Amino acid sequence: MSKRRPYVRPMDGWWLKNPYYVRYMSREATSLFVGVYALILLAGMVSLACGETAYNNWLMAMTNPVSIGFHLAALAAAIYHTITWFAVAPKVMPALFLAGKRVPDIAITTTQYAIAVVLYLGLFCMVWRV
Amino acid sequence: MTDIEKTIEIEVMRYHPEQDASPVFKTYRIPYASDQSVLQGLQYIKDYIDGTLSFRWSCRMAICGSCGVMINNQPKLSCKTFLRDYYPGKIRVEALQHLPIERDLVIDATDFINKLESIKPYIVPREARSLEQGEYLQTPEQLARYEQFSSCINCMLCYAACPQYGLKPEFTGPGVLALLHRYNADSRDGARADRMQIVNAEEGVWGCTLVGYCSEVCPKQVDPAAAVNRNKVNSTLDYFLRFLMPGGGESG
Amino acid sequence: METIKVDIAIVGGGGAGLRAAIAAAEADASQTIALISKVYPMRSHTVAAEGGSAAVTQAHDNLDHHFHDTVAGGDWLCEQDVVEYFVAHAREEMVQLEHWGCPWSRKDNGHVNVRAFGGMKIERTWFAADKTGFHILHTLFQTSMKYPSIRRFDEHFCCDLIVENGRCHGAVVIEVATGKFTFIQARAVIIATGGAGRVFRENTNGGIVTGDGMALAYRHGVPLRDMEFVQYHPTCMPGTGLLFTEACRGEGGFLLNRDGYRYLQDYGLGPPDPSPRNKAMELGPRDRLSQAFWHEKQKGKTIDGPHGQVVHLDLRHLGEKKLHERLPQICELAEEFLGVDPAHAPIPVCPAVHYTMGGIMANGETASPLAGLYSAGECSSVGLHGANRLGSNSLAELCVFGKVAGSEASKFARSVTSHHSGTLEKQAEDVKQQALGIITRSGGTERMAILRTEMAQSMEDGCGIYRTGTAMQATCDKIDELRERYRNLNIDDRSSTWNTEWLLAIELGYQLDVAQSMVYSAINRKESRGSHQRLDGYEQRDDVNYLRHTLAHYNGDAAPRIDYMGVRITKSRPGIRAYGAAGEKAEQERKNREAASD
Repeated sequence: MSKRRPYVRPMDGWWLKNPYYVRYMSREATSLFVGVYALILLAGMVSLACGETAYNNWLMAMTNPVSIGFHLAALAAAIYHTITWFAVAPKVMPALFLAGKRVPDIAITTTQYAIAVVLYLGLFCMVWRV
Repeated sequence: MTDIEKTIEIEVMRYHPEQDASPVFKTYRIPYASDQSVLQGLQYIKDYIDGTLSFRWSCRMAICGSCGVMINNQPKLSCKTFLRDYYPGKIRVEALQHLPIERDLVIDATDFINKLESIKPYIVPREARSLEQGEYLQTPEQLARYEQFSSCINCMLCYAACPQYGLKPEFTGPGVLALLHRYNADSRDGARADRMQIVNAEEGVWGCTLVGYCSEVCPKQVDPAAAVNRNKVNSTLDYFLRFLMPGGGESG
Repeated sequence: METIKVDIAIVGGGGAGLRAAIAAAEADASQTIALISKVYPMRSHTVAAEGGSAAVTQAHDNLDHHFHDTVAGGDWLCEQDVVEYFVAHAREEMVQLEHWGCPWSRKDNGHVNVRAFGGMKIERTWFAADKTGFHILHTLFQTSMKYPSIRRFDEHFCCDLIVENGRCHGAVVIEVATGKFTFIQARAVIIATGGAGRVFRENTNGGIVTGDGMALAYRHGVPLRDMEFVQYHPTCMPGTGLLFTEACRGEGGFLLNRDGYRYLQDYGLGPPDPSPRNKAMELGPRDRLSQAFWHEKQKGKTIDGPHGQVVHLDLRHLGEKKLHERLPQICELAEEFLGVDPAHAPIPVCPAVHYTMGGIMANGETASPLAGLYSAGECSSVGLHGANRLGSNSLAELCVFGKVAGSEASKFARSVTSHHSGTLEKQAEDVKQQALGIITRSGGTERMAILRTEMAQSMEDGCGIYRTGTAMQATCDKIDELRERYRNLNIDDRSSTWNTEWLLAIELGYQLDVAQSMVYSAINRKESRGSHQRLDGYEQRDDVNYLRHTLAHYNGDAAPRIDYMGVRITKSRPGIRAYGAAGEKAEQERKNREAASD
């Protein structure tokens, strides 16, 4: 008669037990900010379609300190999300080979940052008409 | 103080199914030397303090994959984790997370083995070749496309790192999916279509939420997260190709 | 006790056991095969082999060259017909592994690449970076899953063979997780349990390498052959004995003494060319290199290290790129275990016990004198390695002779009827009671670790690189004493689930028997040959009296009975064993003689 009795540990509160998991959950949580931000933006579009008054009211609401606070938080969340995304992108895309050698992960991540910098500079130039 | 006089404390998870309802911790004080591994510490306990401590080990050089444990809450091979990295602090050793404990530091590996058996972990030749014809040709680049994933030593640290596996043990999991990808990415193999069914399943790659810790803890730089997530792309393509071509397509 | 009937039982799930299982499954898919391993098969010690596996591959190489390298490397104690068979079948086995998916390192044109290895005239060592054994083992393990007739008994510990009327009928195994005993009744049994290097203190071996199968066959009257020949690998990690592959030198590494001098040139291995020259300097055979270390140590030319005397393995000139491509595991071991980056600093190394050339006596078909019992791999003495094994011949061996064992056992199982008498079950029950006796008896006072440590130290003292009658006698006495004390062992753990202390105790019993066969074989060989070198008046090879295999026969509580058998010579008469420039000269003379006699 076997006395074997494998013990299975509970998973309660698992994500608080390791800093890596906390960072992972934070990354996932950034989607909430991005989602809410998208809804706010959608509301702006809708109010624009409804006419000038509606749009001005929406703009007014955006100047509210709570709104500004939220937008700053959403910006931080988006930046964090981007950083984590750039870090994992080499794992998601098919393996790249150049001249028979695999392109190292760090090269892919660095290229993404380079592209992002170029795009943002372009965007700033457009907006501020430098 | 010389190394000879120094000691270090190791707190070890003990679970004896014939006596304990759940695991308990026991602390041992052992001699310290900067070049001693945690495995050697455990061996010292077994040899000279308490012969009832059970744990797996063999090669001592990080290739047999036996000695994975949680060390201060991180999955590690005890043979290549050194006391010097914790001294003078205490070391806490537990059985690999997310896996059922058989006894002390020994976990039940049958789930991993069963999953490994389920993925056709062997070459199903794309084209037949006799021994007289010699080897299949494979360029260094073709080799590099799968070699990293063939380096998995089956130590299961990635399973201990994967909370999705802990929450949902049906998930095929990082190590086995990396080995699946190893065969799918091999230029000699022709069974990709069969294996994609495992990839596509709910328990396949879609059980992964890209926590990424598996690749972090892998002692052999296999990068299972890459294998799993690249296959999400493959799985998606596979889905649309099958949608477009009812006869069944094979994505690149 | 449950009895499970199979056609073939294989004890040991490393390279040889897996290859045998696949061969048996391919020979006859209707036969049932039990593959018994005390660990999960992919943990077996084949996993730690690094450098590669030999097979004649290049156009300018031929089977004769590989034959002569192996026979001279073994100091003419090889069974030459076995060597001929081996060299002729090595390549097809390597190709077979390739077809099964082994990730061999490649040349740019897609063909398999080969590297230089010690004692080999021409580069013929197939390699998968420096993890060849790992890749071969995983390839075989995963491929074995293709065959439904192979039933694995993972983490099942074999505690005895069942023998009746001069035939082996199976094995009794303990399920490690539960302590449950099972009698696996088989028409044929293959032992593939690997070597016994753990009987020595400093060794490259994993904890599981405890000579289990050797001891089991030995206790049932099968002689252990040539057990005095134990290989010291010259480049190991001080303290732990972990291996730095010979491929380090195959790729061009140097061995330097405390003056930064390539000392091997002083031991008949020169000239010291700057790039690797086959069969010379660092590419000499392992016995000679380990002996050279010993002499340097006597001269005070070695370097003081925290774990004793070392020399330097210098890889710096190979460059970081080549090191990481060809020797990634060596880099990892040096960096993580020693804090040395081989691209920028030499690695401290010393010799450690690596391989047991001897083993269970087997003929060229891997059959032992006991009907129904076969052996393959390191546990077996099929007669390939003689008095010294060449690096990269053992991975090829486990494939070539693993396959032979599988098909021979399959043939034998078909030719015999199954045994129906209840006496086998009765025997199995006795085996169980005896194994349980270790944990049920009380009053023991000896601590296992102490006995193990004393054994390992004594074996190192008496059966090291150089041996003397006095030191070997002291080891004989010590091992006799330890076998006596072993009966008085105290075990803390009396449980049945995952009781590793109990299994370690059974293993220690195996080790003591194997150690005894080694030291008694050694003290009786009054000559120096290959890895068996004496300093007490027997410094020369003595072909008149000792061109013979040693056979150690189990003798219960007493010392083993030693006798001898002839060596089969087919085409290479014993000659001068020389390397470097002297070796080239000797080979030329041999060729001239052969030409003259034709």
